[in-house]
Amino acid sequence: MKKIFYSLAVLVVLTGTACQKKVTDDVVPNDRLSNDLAFSSAQKIENAVLGAYNALQNAGFLSGRALLYVDLQGEDVFDKGVFFGDAARFNMLSNNGIPAAVWTAGYDAIVTSNRVAEGIAANASLLTTQKATELTAECRFVRAVSNFYLVNFFAQPYVFTADASHKGIPIITKSFSSSSPEANQPRSTVKQVYDLIISDLTQAIRDLPQAYASTYATKTRATRAAAASLLARVHLYRADYTGARDAAKRVIDGEFGTYALRPAPNGAFGPGNYQTTETVWSIPNNVNDNPNTNAALPQHYAGNGRADLAVSRSFTNAATNTYFAADDRRRTQMLAAGPAPNTAFTFTTKYPDVATRADWAPVIRYAEVLLTYAEAAAQAATVVDADAVTKLNLVRDRARVSAPAYTVATFPTKAALVAAILGERRIELAFEGHRLWDIMRVKGTVQNKYDNDGVSLLPAQAFGANKSIWPIPQAEVDKSGGVLEQNPGY
Amino acid sequence: MRKISLLCALLLTGWCTLLAQSRQISGRVTNEKDEPLPGSSVRAKGSSSGTVTDSTGMFRLMVDDKIKTLVISSLGYGEKEIALNSQDFFAVKLLQQDAGLDEVVVVGYQQIARVNLTGSVAKVGGKEIANRPVMSFDQALTGKAAGVQVNTSSGLVGDNVIIRVRGAASISSGSQPLIIIDGVPITQGNDGQLYNPVNTLADINPNDIESVEVLKDASAAAIYGSRASAGVILISTRKGQAGAARITYDGYVGVNTASRRLTVLNGDQYNTVINKMRAAAGQTPAAAYADFNGDGTIDPVSTDWQDEVYRNGLTQSHQVGISGGTAKTTFYASAAYNDFQNYIIVNRQKRMSGRINLTTKATNWLETGMTMQYSQTTSYGLGSGTGGGLSGVPFGPLTAYPNIPVYAANGGYYLGAGGNTVFNNTPNPVAVQNLNYDTRQTQRLIGSLYGEARLFKGLKFKSQFNVDQLFGNTDQYWDKLVGDGSGLAGLAQTVNNRTYVWSWTNTLNYIAKFGDHDINVLAGSEYTRRRGYGAYAFGTTIFDSLFRQIDAANFASVGAQNYNTVNNGLASYFGGINYSFKRKYIATINVRGDAYSGFGRDNRWGYFPSAALAWRISQEGFMQSVSAISDMKLRASYGLTGNSNIGDFPSLATFAPTQYADIPSLNLSNPGNSSLRWEKTGQFDIGIDMTVGKNIQIVLDYYNKKSKDLILANPVLATLGFPGNSIIENVGQLSNSGFEIGINMPVISKKDFNWDINFNGAWNRSKVISTNSNNGDIFGGNSIVRPGYNMSAFFLIRWAGVNPSNGLPMFYDKDGVRKQYDHLQPAASRWTKVDDGSVTTAITAADRVVHNDKTPYPKFLGGLTQNLRYKQFDLSIDLQYSLGAYLYNNTLQNLMVTTTSRNKSDELLNEWSKPGDQTDVPRLVWGDNQWWQTSTRWLEKADFVRIRNLQLGYSLPAHLLSKISISRLRIYVQAQNLYTFTGYKGMDPEANANGNVNIGLGIDSFRPYLPRTITAGVNVGF
Repeated sequence: MKKIFYSLAVLVVLTGTACQKKVTDDVVPNDRLSNDLAFSSAQKIENAVLGAYNALQNAGFLSGRALLYVDLQGEDVFDKGVFFGDAARFNMLSNNGIPAAVWTAGYDAIVTSNRVAEGIAANASLLTTQKATELTAECRFVRAVSNFYLVNFFAQPYVFTADASHKGIPIITKSFSSSSPEANQPRSTVKQVYDLIISDLTQAIRDLPQAYASTYATKTRATRAAAASLLARVHLYRADYTGARDAAKRVIDGEFGTYALRPAPNGAFGPGNYQTTETVWSIPNNVNDNPNTNAALPQHYAGNGRADLAVSRSFTNAATNTYFAADDRRRTQMLAAGPAPNTAFTFTTKYPDVATRADWAPVIRYAEVLLTYAEAAAQAATVVDADAVTKLNLVRDRARVSAPAYTVATFPTKAALVAAILGERRIELAFEGHRLWDIMRVKGTVQNKYDNDGVSLLPAQAFGANKSIWPIPQAEVDKSGGVLEQNPGY
Repeated sequence: MRKISLLCALLLTGWCTLLAQSRQISGRVTNEKDEPLPGSSVRAKGSSSGTVTDSTGMFRLMVDDKIKTLVISSLGYGEKEIALNSQDFFAVKLLQQDAGLDEVVVVGYQQIARVNLTGSVAKVGGKEIANRPVMSFDQALTGKAAGVQVNTSSGLVGDNVIIRVRGAASISSGSQPLIIIDGVPITQGNDGQLYNPVNTLADINPNDIESVEVLKDASAAAIYGSRASAGVILISTRKGQAGAARITYDGYVGVNTASRRLTVLNGDQYNTVINKMRAAAGQTPAAAYADFNGDGTIDPVSTDWQDEVYRNGLTQSHQVGISGGTAKTTFYASAAYNDFQNYIIVNRQKRMSGRINLTTKATNWLETGMTMQYSQTTSYGLGSGTGGGLSGVPFGPLTAYPNIPVYAANGGYYLGAGGNTVFNNTPNPVAVQNLNYDTRQTQRLIGSLYGEARLFKGLKFKSQFNVDQLFGNTDQYWDKLVGDGSGLAGLAQTVNNRTYVWSWTNTLNYIAKFGDHDINVLAGSEYTRRRGYGAYAFGTTIFDSLFRQIDAANFASVGAQNYNTVNNGLASYFGGINYSFKRKYIATINVRGDAYSGFGRDNRWGYFPSAALAWRISQEGFMQSVSAISDMKLRASYGLTGNSNIGDFPSLATFAPTQYADIPSLNLSNPGNSSLRWEKTGQFDIGIDMTVGKNIQIVLDYYNKKSKDLILANPVLATLGFPGNSIIENVGQLSNSGFEIGINMPVISKKDFNWDINFNGAWNRSKVISTNSNNGDIFGGNSIVRPGYNMSAFFLIRWAGVNPSNGLPMFYDKDGVRKQYDHLQPAASRWTKVDDGSVTTAITAADRVVHNDKTPYPKFLGGLTQNLRYKQFDLSIDLQYSLGAYLYNNTLQNLMVTTTSRNKSDELLNEWSKPGDQTDVPRLVWGDNQWWQTSTRWLEKADFVRIRNLQLGYSLPAHLLSKISISRLRIYVQAQNLYTFTGYKGMDPEANANGNVNIGLGIDSFRPYLPRTITAGVNVGF
């Protein structure tokens, strides 16, 4: 009996020790990597850099939605599907989910790029100096992109005050491993945010590669052309026309590789067209990695998708869209009535891939670079600028095959040329995330904007109105304990 | 060797017995009411011969002539010795014992006589749970035990059942009590993999449950250490008793309907209300009938989508049980089928289960046994999801256009918008329910094997191995015709997942009595490992809808993924002493050490001690003269318990593979927190158990729980860049204090008429002591966690009513100034002060205030059960009540929006129309999103009294039954959720949209009504 007892006791103790290890120390995850291994090889570091782009590709952010919101608040579409609620009416409340999702995704991309840049610096020995420099520049590009979209959604445009001293967004230039109070930053001025964007893009233009091993990567990762094109847009938003002109010119002159318009106005859209010379930088999607049925661009925009956003009569009527001729190929080939039950509505065909929702988000397209150059050159000149007219024609002529090209003589004044360029920009870049901000940066009023029925007009939204920018997400204001100042009117 | 000689000795005695001269005696064992006591033990004193009584209480026994005394005993009736005289037949009456005195209570890893118990333990008998038309046994615990709040989130099959023992133990989600069935810690909670919740407790057959014990205070629960902060629920399933086999059949059939209905606008009302608010905003009419049958004229139709989507659901249950055994081996076996067709079309739960419990005394020193349940549960969920989704129920039927038909003229579903011009994105609710599905089938094995060896007198070693295996398959489909599936051109998804938990428990238990000293010593170890995986596949853009198998041949795109669901382990060592002197002074000490795999190595171990004292004051001399009190015990305890319900690897900073479309990438998946510590709850409890008069039992408890180092997925600033904007942290302290009362009172106890009342009630207050979160506040939903305030107090803008003079909605700003909103004014001058009409700033989130007295937690809750018996009739009434809780009526808020063309609540008909109107619905203007914004307008009292169960039965008298060889036949009718008395206007005063949380509780947002079930049933015993 005693022997049995003792051998049992020994058995229990021995198996018990083994069991204890089995249920504690031996329990390790197989679907994730411990922090200290994340930057342990050159390949992992590069994958982490790509993780920063992946953060931009968030379903609520730059895989499509962020572009969509800029058009949603413009007058060229209306929220037929009543999908976006108050966001389409300049009437949000501070707890609206859309700003919260954009803010979260934007800062996730910013902090991710900071974290990865720190990881590169700490593990530089695993990389060649050149590779480390290039990868760091990619991080800076991602940060600049994110800061640019955030500051424009959440703050009044750069030109709102003379010195852009109005409230921007918090500047975050590092990453965190715990709930650090350093992340609780007050809002910097818009100028400070733009300065950071410009410095990040300048570094990116200097350090980035011109191309990657595959065209796919060249179109979806940061390149010198992408950084310069974005810098041109940034300067345009600041009304720094020489800056915008010079940055765009470097791209147009081929300094960073060859970019060109395709012959057809829809040549950069739809499956098979994403990796052409017209694409400067896009956020890719594919069948397995896309914003799904509730957030993908084709779902919202295509007549055979969810068909939430219909093209408004403000856009299709020449009375409210002066430069949009009846024979414009962008009207005849890129707008279409929906299938039943949406036959009465018009939709854009820029995002046709409803089935797999894999349409890329065209963040920077070469047509924009040309139009930015044209506008900046026209504004920077004292008279009607010939080169601006030339570049405008490059975009216009492929859609207006039967109309005579513009000449310098077409425009009595510089202002007439600028108006034509802005009109062209509205048509060419429609539904690609430009419209609201193109109005706001020139201190325009959003008018002729339609409500959900496509018939009832919403009140005009004057330049600088409180609700033409978004609320800082109320949850963030709450969590900041008052450090984050809410926008007026929210 | 010694064993063998022992065996020989046994054999020899047996042989001798046979040689001695003997005679046969017989008898019948009954209680005071002459009811037979089957399974009573009958032993010849001083010999090894003995037997047990059969189902009619009869026994036969051969006894040696030398035997002078019979010892007869029955559980709950004590022991009686009778002298053997020359009689051959003995009628033995056993008296029911003073309630509870010898009753044994399962606490932790041992059984303790109730007299020696120092902790607070509530017990619910199996018959309170059996044969109720509930979807899972936890629902049947509602209102049954003081301080145990059971909240059924909704009437959806499988929806979360939230159990809170003595309030919220934590502010994270780990506030569900630990549930243990026959020593097996089981997987609980939601295991729904796609759109429908699936309650894993629904796999358990309620009719197999013998009793449920809830360990509430630290003295009782601390032996479970790290998992016991939220209390422990111990379930014992039925065991066989020695004696002739007893066969039972229990069955019922009934019907489910919705227990409440919200009312929305009909076709005419809809057209009027929508067009009127459009006109108020200067916009064209948007609502109209259309020509639906193509005859060229407009067809007015009014569709009540609730009628279309709800039905009378058939519910039925059948169970056959068999139990019995010999003096050495006892068994219980059952086979059951339960089918719960909900009142929502397609929503249904079917369960088939079988159980075998077996105990055998292999030798005189070794007992072995097993318990095992195998079940298969099929849940037919709502294919398009539940709740507030566009295709969900009840959102769909409440918000679809009422002025369109269900079916088009061609017989297919009507999918158009009729004459309406503003899009209503609610798809045809009947179509989406019928065409889509989300079906989950689980197979579950819960079982244990044990051996218990008596090493020497009083010392037992027990080793038990437990498994809980759950295999589930979810098969989901969205048709491309309508709703969510149309965007994907059809979707099929499957999930196969399994959760496997094993645990191994070893205990040494020494029980001895030396004179006046009773001691019970326990030491043990336990290892638990939980592991769960899933495999997921999907296909979109289906070519032919008749083929649902996910295959690239039939879908434009297919994909697959594997994932982990749970991966953790726990190593534990524990010990305890229960000591009693003269059964008068009792002390208990317990301690447990736990190591949880999820913590960093340095913080892995947590130690959880407890101590308790009890004094049976009624045993003192000076109390003997107090005849009114027959038993009285004072208890006091203090102890620490923990909470390990915190996920698998919260402390580890990790990166996970991701994809940037075609390019592989790597992203942070968890910021980690290597300094994460155990969350601990210290609980003080003082209580009295007493019996007043002959049999009025009263239990009173006061407790004070303080939880510190609360672990929370702390919502932090987005600028930190953490996934989900949260990091797992120890964030603060919380206290729960309260008072509980339980009274069990036989009011009338006559031969033909019995009336028992069982009442329980509990007051609880949860208060936040401190947080170290950002600036002290933690926000969740419409609630706040702020030091010094009640837990999860609502944090809302204050509604100030509708201005009777102009019909404008009014709110208070944070300083109490009333402001009104006029949507028809230009944007800059919409807000004015009510007092002087001057233009002012908008009411914003900055005007929210903490409503400290308004929390989702009831201040007082409990139940009242009455059992009446008159001759052969019995009647039971279960009431559940809850007072002092508040609920945010997000459902109604959504049904009163003035910015969409969805159908709306008929409360809008109370719209202000002329100066002087007193109403809470303002002048309605299309596009106004301010009046119905989140505010106290939607915060309502959730007080209620519910007739939870009403049951009327009739048992056929024994003399009739004996002719047909049936020992028991009872027929009954019962109603579950018969009626709820409440002023609450939403789906249900217990509605909960956010599942098992603590901060976001108290939001009523489109979860289905509870079902009302009326059944008729029969209980037969052979």
